[in-house]
Amino acid sequence: MVNFGIEFVPKEAYWKTVYYAIQSEKRGFDNLWITDHYNNRNVYVTLAATAMYTKKIVFGPGVTNPFLVNPIMTAQSLASLDEMAPGRVVLGMGAGDKTTLASTGIEATKQLSAVVDAIAIFKAMLEGKSVTYEGAVFQVKGTKFNFKPRGQIPVYVGAQGPKMLATAGKIGDGVLINASHPKDIDYAVKQIKSGVKEAGKNLSDVDVTAYTSFSVHEKPEKAMQAASPVVAFIVAGSPNVILERHGIDLEKANKIRGALKKGDFGVAFGSVSPKMMEAFSIAGTPDVCNEKISRLLKAGITQFVVGSPIGPNVRKSIDLISEQVIPHFKE
Amino acid sequence: MLTYKKIVKMIPVEKREELSDKLLNYLLKSKKEKKMPSSLAKCFLSQWQTGSFDDEVGLAVLLEATALLEPEKTTEFLEQELQLAEVAKALKEAASAGGV
Repeated sequence: MVNFGIEFVPKEAYWKTVYYAIQSEKRGFDNLWITDHYNNRNVYVTLAATAMYTKKIVFGPGVTNPFLVNPIMTAQSLASLDEMAPGRVVLGMGAGDKTTLASTGIEATKQLSAVVDAIAIFKAMLEGKSVTYEGAVFQVKGTKFNFKPRGQIPVYVGAQGPKMLATAGKIGDGVLINASHPKDIDYAVKQIKSGVKEAGKNLSDVDVTAYTSFSVHEKPEKAMQAASPVVAFIVAGSPNVILERHGIDLEKANKIRGALKKGDFGVAFGSVSPKMMEAFSIAGTPDVCNEKISRLLKAGITQFVVGSPIGPNVRKSIDLISEQVIPHFKE
Repeated sequence: MLTYKKIVKMIPVEKREELSDKLLNYLLKSKKEKKMPSSLAKCFLSQWQTGSFDDEVGLAVLLEATALLEPEKTTEFLEQELQLAEVAKALKEAASAGGV
């Protein structure tokens, strides 16, 4: 059976994000993911508040990166959260967005190695012993917590490219795939399988998670309207190879990229085509969303994450998902 | 001056669910987040964790919060949509006195 997760961007006051976290738990979501960007509220402050006001939902950063937050600090944060909410904490770790990192003065090179090193250090630190590790990007020497972590915490690897996907299959307990279309999930699952095989595991050992751009409303046009800004940003940030996989005109994509760069959001959002919406979002009525989720399930996912924008009215969309989407797959 | 709990008692039971729904929208979409006192934010979350906003306690928390963050919208809705001018007046008085 599929699990349902939900993603929140902590761009508003903490009490709003935690309101939605409590609502998500009450409405039957299994997992909660909070994004980690320096320009929003701090992910761990938000997660600590979430821990205080929830009792069963599983949560974690989705995703952090090792360039902005040293893996030792990530291990410390997650181990501390695990004391607040025992057994309910997971880590989402990815390479981070190069452009965003560049604005902080960080050059994100050797991304694959950085993620591999970070996860190795994270896991070793959670053993509670002195850690010495010599990686291509990160090295630690005799590092040890002055407290005993509760134990290992599941690690999800945020992945999109073939090497990161295979690595995620190899070293991760789960994979977070930024995709909303079965073509992308099919591709990802193939790569994950190669990593799983290399590690001598089964695919069923890995929680294959689709981290989607989702928008639901009883009026389809309202759902689409809410999703189009998110899709514009996804198109602008997607490599051409992915756009071509979906038959998206590169000229149209470049028009969106240019408009976003100039801050001309009206042109950017207005240039999002139905094909782009189809490729990069799950948006529409509950029935339409259910049909699209079913296609992702057939492609091999085991967790479905409702990501931004969720809907034109987040609170009402969470209720709608709880009433008409989750029961469709869980009952 | 009436406390928020007493103001809630002035609201007919059949109108409370509609009011609660509207006030939650005002609060969650408000851009005046800095006006939310830290203690009230915690009270708001505790109420949501353990109960709902349709009951008297929950609605009192919502009224207090929206009277601080979105006073115009709240009183306008009470007066014009729910025809509860007396409630709107009591809410204005409670908010201007700092509430209880």
